[in-house]
Amino acid sequence: MVVETKGLTVKYKDFVAVDNISFDVAPGEIFGIVGPNGAGKTSTMECLEGLKKPYSGRINILGIDPANRKELYNHIGVQLQEASFPDLIKVEELCQLFSSFYKNPADYHMLLERFELTDKKKSYVKKLSGGQKQKISIIAALIANPQVIFLDELTTGLDPQARLDMWELIKSLGSEGRTILMTTHYMEEAEYLCDRVCIMMKGKIVAIGTVKELIEQTGISQKITFSSSNAKKQDLLAIDHVTDVNMRDGIVEIYGTGKNLLRDVTIYLTEHNIAFEDLSSKNPGLEEVFLKLTGFGLEKFS
Amino acid sequence: MKAFLVMTLTELKLSMRTYVYVFFAFVFPPMMLLLFGGIYGNTPSDFYHGYGAVDVLTPAYIGMILAVSGIMGLPLGLAEYRQRKVLKRYKATPIGTGTIMVPQLLVNGFMSIVGLLILIIIGKIVFNLHFLGNVFYFIVAFLLSMASVFSVGFLIAAVAPNNRAAMGIAYLVYFPMLFLSGATIPLQIMPKAVQVISKFLPLTYCVEILQGTWMGNPLGDFSRQIIILLAIAAVCTGLSVKFFRWE
Repeated sequence: MVVETKGLTVKYKDFVAVDNISFDVAPGEIFGIVGPNGAGKTSTMECLEGLKKPYSGRINILGIDPANRKELYNHIGVQLQEASFPDLIKVEELCQLFSSFYKNPADYHMLLERFELTDKKKSYVKKLSGGQKQKISIIAALIANPQVIFLDELTTGLDPQARLDMWELIKSLGSEGRTILMTTHYMEEAEYLCDRVCIMMKGKIVAIGTVKELIEQTGISQKITFSSSNAKKQDLLAIDHVTDVNMRDGIVEIYGTGKNLLRDVTIYLTEHNIAFEDLSSKNPGLEEVFLKLTGFGLEKFS
Repeated sequence: MKAFLVMTLTELKLSMRTYVYVFFAFVFPPMMLLLFGGIYGNTPSDFYHGYGAVDVLTPAYIGMILAVSGIMGLPLGLAEYRQRKVLKRYKATPIGTGTIMVPQLLVNGFMSIVGLLILIIIGKIVFNLHFLGNVFYFIVAFLLSMASVFSVGFLIAAVAPNNRAAMGIAYLVYFPMLFLSGATIPLQIMPKAVQVISKFLPLTYCVEILQGTWMGNPLGDFSRQIIILLAIAAVCTGLSVKFFRWE
């Protein structure tokens, strides 16, 4: 295992930010931590990154205790939430500065090329767009030539296009065999990028596994929605694999499981001459798992 | 070692790009000298105890330059780095505390020295400035003043909860010190009350020892000032180290 965490607990006076959590991350894995604000995501990351000293429990990164700073930082790359660089520094100066910190730094010219920032070498970091700034913070992390990369809310505040760019970058880092630990607010991001996801709430891990495993564990159903003037709840509940039906203002929501749910429902509706319009079907995703497990509405975790 | 050099050079470039800093360290003091030198000239006068006005004002303005670097440059830079988590980001690399902090002191010290040289060169060219003292004594006085003023700045950086607070405290310390310590306006022409206040400002002792050694008095004449400046440096540095937060 590249990262091993056992019984990690972080306390601020009376408040327990991280409450006895344990997890492992395998080599080459993209591991995501999701959860509402104050769930303990950043505290967990900072302990692993060697930035948060007083904690209890055992952490092991590539066989290194995070207290052994100099050794640790030669093997991990870190992007911190909301951290920035000096206002008046230029892109290339920042790269040279970070290169000087390491014994065997990665070639920053190649990194700039790869991240399409070569023509920004002479630009002030503060003049870059939000997406470009985040690319710079990844470059700063990659100059260490790290085996493990920590990304803390990398895409928060980015516009949709920049976020998609960032997703492809993270994917490509993962395909190089690097291990990535990331936190995010965006469920679709974790679902798209992460091999395994850990859902945290109030300092505890509420679920951990692949998205598929999480969906199975929580037993969340597929949802079929349509509008109808003559559908009856009793009839619909009789369809195979249907577990629940909601009807309101002519809008019907059918919940159920199994591969053939959509087929069974449409056949039933047609055979029984039940009118339907605007039919759509939604497979459950991480978002549904998250909402069910944490009881948080979308508006509560911005 | 390489990290230390690159960090120092980078910080130096950043200071040089901070126009406000460059103005107050390199341009403002010579402007003051040109203004007051233009009014009073540099011929010996009774008001300045038989010395030329420029010869007396120059070492006082050197105190002003030290205050710019120490009370403004140093703490505002550090407070900004803390607020924007630059310090924290540096902490997440293999470099040590010394590689982060010492370049800050060196660069701000360097800014003072460049400011001092510009002031002296302009004074020499325009007003035929005289240095009447012992160079070694003056350098000791300068370094001692720097240690004391920078330690005050370091303490501001340590106790200010954020960028704005650091700015507020720095202005609150800098401007009174500038005008009430004799660094810009001779204390002799100030009202009694100001002269009393000046006794509580570290810069007053810097100006006394800088002016004194510039005029040719031996360091031994300033044992009181030396003790006060050393005490300020020791106390402020100690408190800074105790209270400094990286984030």
